[in-house]
This record gives sequence, structure tokens and C-alpha cells, in this order.
Amino acid sequence: MTEQHDDRHVVTTTLEFPYRRSLGPVIGGFARALAEERIVGVRTQAGDVLVPPTEHDPRTGESVRDGFVDVGPAGEVQSWTWVSEPTERHPIRRPFAFALIRLDGADTALVHAVDAEAIEVMRTGLRVVPMWRAERTGRITDIECFVPAGLEG
Amino acid sequence: MTTEKGSASAADEPMVVDDFVALTYHDRLPPETVRFADGLIAGRIIGQRCPQCRRVYVGGKGFCAMCVVVMGPESEIDVADVGVVTGYTIITPVRYYGQTKTEPFVYASVLLDGASSVLGGQEITGIAIDAVREGLRVRAVWKPPEARNYEGHSTRGWGSLAGGIVGFEWTGEPDVPREQYKEFAV
Amino acid sequence: MPADDIAIVGWGQTPSVASTDLTEPQLCLAAVNDALAMANIDRHAIGFTCSGSCDYLSGGPFVFISNLEAAGAWPPISESHVEMDGAWALYEAWVRIQHGDIDFALVYGSGKSSPSDPALLFPQQLDPYYLEPLGLDPASLMGMQARALLDSGTATERDFAAVAARSRRAGAANPKAQTLPNGAGESDLDIDALLAAPYVRAPLRAHDLAPAADGAAAVVLATPAKARELTDHPVFIRGIDHRLEPHQPGVRDLADSPSTRLAAQKAGLGANGGGVGVAELYATSSAQELILRAALGLGPDVSVNPSGGALCSDPVMATGLVRIIEAAQRVADGTTRRAVAHAVNGQVLQHNLVCVLEGER
Ligand SMILES: [Zn+2]
Repeated sequence: MTEQHDDRHVVTTTLEFPYRRSLGPVIGGFARALAEERIVGVRTQAGDVLVPPTEHDPRTGESVRDGFVDVGPAGEVQSWTWVSEPTERHPIRRPFAFALIRLDGADTALVHAVDAEAIEVMRTGLRVVPMWRAERTGRITDIECFVPAGLEG
Repeated sequence: MTTEKGSASAADEPMVVDDFVALTYHDRLPPETVRFADGLIAGRIIGQRCPQCRRVYVGGKGFCAMCVVVMGPESEIDVADVGVVTGYTIITPVRYYGQTKTEPFVYASVLLDGASSVLGGQEITGIAIDAVREGLRVRAVWKPPEARNYEGHSTRGWGSLAGGIVGFEWTGEPDVPREQYKEFAV
Repeated sequence: MPADDIAIVGWGQTPSVASTDLTEPQLCLAAVNDALAMANIDRHAIGFTCSGSCDYLSGGPFVFISNLEAAGAWPPISESHVEMDGAWALYEAWVRIQHGDIDFALVYGSGKSSPSDPALLFPQQLDPYYLEPLGLDPASLMGMQARALLDSGTATERDFAAVAARSRRAGAANPKAQTLPNGAGESDLDIDALLAAPYVRAPLRAHDLAPAADGAAAVVLATPAKARELTDHPVFIRGIDHRLEPHQPGVRDLADSPSTRLAAQKAGLGANGGGVGVAELYATSSAQELILRAALGLGPDVSVNPSGGALCSDPVMATGLVRIIEAAQRVADGTTRRAVAHAVNGQVLQHNLVCVLEGER
């Protein structure tokens, strides 16, 4: 079952899926704010601020309240991992960290990349700030990455 | 929807985004497909005959789905490159992502002589498309030997002839009576 | 109405290998035929068939339909499919057989991960707004989870390596598991050698992460009456349950597995591991095994993953069903009277299934 084959016995296929999505009021509101260089969350009935926002409180299933709350833009690393060899799908092409980041004013954490230059810089509790793309289209990648506070240049 | 600080622009308009996903797979062809593909390159069409029910599959999957028994190289026989159209449709292409056809074309099922499974999705040539019909006798149109390759084979389908055969053409013979293929007609 | 104690009377699994040139239906055929042969029943005695697989893995539309040919689907059979691990197919079949109108159910799970790169494919199982656009891969999620566990103060990187060393040693004796390089023992020296390896997703190293594999597994379920006709040593499912956590990792405590704890409670495992001698856990990282042990209350006396577990071989979509098979095997052969099997679905222990198995000797 593990014998070697010559390459002509390997067939390469790429499947392509073009999608168009309507984001709805909650994710759509978050996306619009990103385009304006802002990060927003939503408030649950219990008063917690969810970032990234979802339509329902994950604990209760209740709809979140109407309206958005500005959060961050700085935040604190809650957990992280160091990616020594990024994949072609990752947002950064050199070694970087993925981190769970709790933005100031939020009660939940957002996943994003942290461009920290070296693993030694990373630690739980690290303060980070977003680096914005010049051209923003309302996607999570409008934030190019986060960087350690003070290094945003 | 209101905002506590500032306001989102055009917040009443639904926000719509496009996304494009591309997933790449590298399939190692299963052994029976390799033998089938090599057969096409050599100008042969290989079928697998079930040791239990004697059905002949073109191309074989390595097992008989009716009897659930394995079929290996010992089960393999040559089948003819002539057969009969057992069913067809004429497809008028509509535009969608990935569609390369622009003109109506025939999509036919062909039962080769000696086989008990049909080859689906075959093009029929040598006859006007509005004259294509069930019972038509057809013969494989082979690629020149130097143009034959592993095209069309994968681990997720069986029986592609594209590596050796471009389609089927009408032989000009009289039609086959339906009695002789009705088991395979759609 | 209390659930009847459905029995497991047959099973089969292919070797799980890094890459096979057999098709997924061929893998299923081998596992299904082995399970039927062990149960010693004709396939036409099966009243319901349920399978678990994911077409995205091999990129074939309707592979799950092709797989069905391995079950012998003619004349037409009563069947269902879950786009989940085969352990959830077993759950559905377990529910179905409770209706009381069939004697046997056939379950199988299968997957071919080798045609694609899991790091590039698996972001596709995440939401398309917040996570997928980042290309967030399973190993990165597991790295953040492992860091959360370290930060909780309940485990160290050395504990991770000890789990990996024990798993690899056990897996080396399992003919169905992959043969991995750098097979390690449990001595400090071996653990030091593992700790010297580079990080893949710090704090996790290659040996801390389950290697995706190709493979299939199958199980035959029977009513208690039929099970007693077929074997003197039936393995009974005393309880089975599954529970789900939210999708977004940032709203969960990744260092804990409350859904596993709840599923175990609902499955009747009982406190402090419920007296099981063997636990087969579908942990895709060494850190996850520690989290699961804590959630299930397993003490040091419980033999965890004597098969080597997913850290030796992870035939994705079959791995959870393999855990049930490996646990059932050890109840059937008298290694233990009571065992627990765990399966996972989704990312970083999002969705967990717990199955309590018991024999009569
Ligand atoms: Zn047959």
C-alpha cells in the first residue's frame, strides 16, 4: 500500500468554488467597521461584549442586543502559538504567531496573526495593536496583522 | 441598527462579499486504473469480469458492487471498441463558472460489445446531433498513439476513456434492436 | 424509556497508512467484509447501514455514495450518512436499532487525507468570515490550545512529550497503526530526545500532533438477543452521548473540555473515570489527551490509548470509530470488563462523543 509510483500515476486536480455571501446585520456591521478602520463588537443580553460578533450569545442562544460597541484597537494576547513555517494560506509569509487576542472592552477573544519577529517576543499577556491595510474591503484581513504595542512604528 | 459610537456607513444595505476557494488534490491512481490507463495507451480497452456474477465492468473499480467481491488482475479481459448507444441527451451549454463549451453537444451512454456496464458522457460524431438515437452502432475514435496519455483518470471516478479515445463515431451499420440492450437503457 | 444495551459483535479496520493508492470504496470494502466475517452474519441480515466520511478530504463529489457500494447496496438497502467521524454514524445506528424492528446495523467510517494537505484544506471547515480567511490550520489551533493548557499550570511540555512517547511505544505494537520514525520509549532519555525536536506550532512538536492517514473501519451492531446467539462474550454499549461547544475558539476555555465531561455524564460513565480499565481517546494532540483525561476523571491506573491512539495514526473520519473498536477489542479479550471510547469532531475538541462499553466476564 505504500509502494512508490512514478509521477504519471499521480493526477493533480484543482477544484474551484466561487461563492458570494450576504453577511447579514451583525457580521456585516463588523465588516463595515473594519473598512472604516474600526473594530466593533456586540453586547449579549447579559451584557458581555462579543468580539468577533455573532448573532447569538453562545452561552444562551439568545439574540444579541441591537447596536455595536467600539472595542480596542489594542488588546492582550490570551493564548498563542508560533508558526515556524507558514502555509500559502497564512496572512504572513515569515515566521509569526497566531493568537487569541482579547481587545480592550471585549469579553471574548479574536483570532489573528501577530507579526512579532521572533518567538521570544511572544508571551501570554502581551499587548498588541492592529496594523491596518491601506485598502480595506470589509474583511478580517483588512487587519494585516497585530504587532506588539510600541512596535507599530 | 444603531451604533453606540459613530455609525456604520450605508448600514441598511446588505453587505455582500465574494469569496473564491481553490483546493488542490494529488491523486495516486489505484492499481486497476493504472492498468486500464496503460491499456488505453496501448490501444486496448480492459474490462474486469466478476468471478461470481460474470458481469464485465469497463473500467473496473477493483470490486463488483453487486456481489461485493474483489476483482484483481486475474479478472481482466479485453472488450471491443465498438458498441451501441443506450441513451443520450443533447446539452445546450449555459454559462457558468468552468463551462468551456459553447455549442450544443451529445452526451451519450455507450455499451461496448462484451461489457455489462455503460460508459457515460461520450461524444458521438459522424452523424448530425439531431439524428443521434438509442440503438446507434458506434466505434471508438482513438487518439494517435503519440497523443495518448493519462488524461481523465482519477481516484474519484472510473471509466474515463479520455487518455486514449476522443469519442465515438457512427459506424453506418443498421441500428441494434432495443431487445439486445434494453437492460442498460436509461 | 431506557435504551437497550445494543452490542458490538463485529469489527474491522484497514491498516491506516500515510498514503494508499487504493480508493476509498476499496478501503471500505476491506473493513466492512472483515466486520461481517467477524460477526459471522450475511450482509443481507443488516437492517440499517450508516457511514461517516467527508468528500472534501479526497475532493470527490459523492464519494460517500461510491463508498456505499462496499456495503452491498443492491437490492436497495436502508442507509444514511453523516459528514462526521464514523463514531457518529455508530451513534445514529445505535439510535436506529433501538426502534426494535431490526436485528443488525452496519457502521463504517472512512477517509483519504493523502490527496490533499490538511493544513491547506482544513481552514475550509471554519467559518468563512473570521477564521477561514486567515488560513487557520488545525495544528495552529492545537498550538493555541496547548499554550492555554500550559498557562493553566496543570501541564508541562515534558508532560506532552511523555504522552507522545507512551503513544508511540504502544503504536509500535499495533499492526494497524502507522510506523513512525523515532519510536520512543518512556524513559527520561527518550523524552529528552523528543523535547530536543523543533517546534511545529510552539509549544507543540511533530510528535505532539496526530499524523493524518488513509484508512477505514467498520462495526456491526446487534440487538442483545442476537448478540447472545452469536457470541459468548458480547460487548455492550452501556451508554453513548455527544455534546457540542461553540464554533469560535475565542469564546471557549480551550484548556478544558466541558462538552466531554457532560457527554460522559450523560453516557453514564460515572465519577472518577467510572471504573474503566481502558480508555481510547481521540486526541489529535498530546495536550488534548491530558485535557480529555481530566474531563473524564481518568486516574493513573487507567490504560489510555493502548492502541497508540491518534498520535500514531489518524485516519480522519474513521479515527473515532477506531477508538470504539480498540476499546471493544479489549473488553472482548478480557483485558478489562469496562472501557470508555471517545471521539471528536470539529476543531480543538469542539464536539465530543463518549461511549461506555462493558462485557460480562
Ligand atoms: Zn458480481
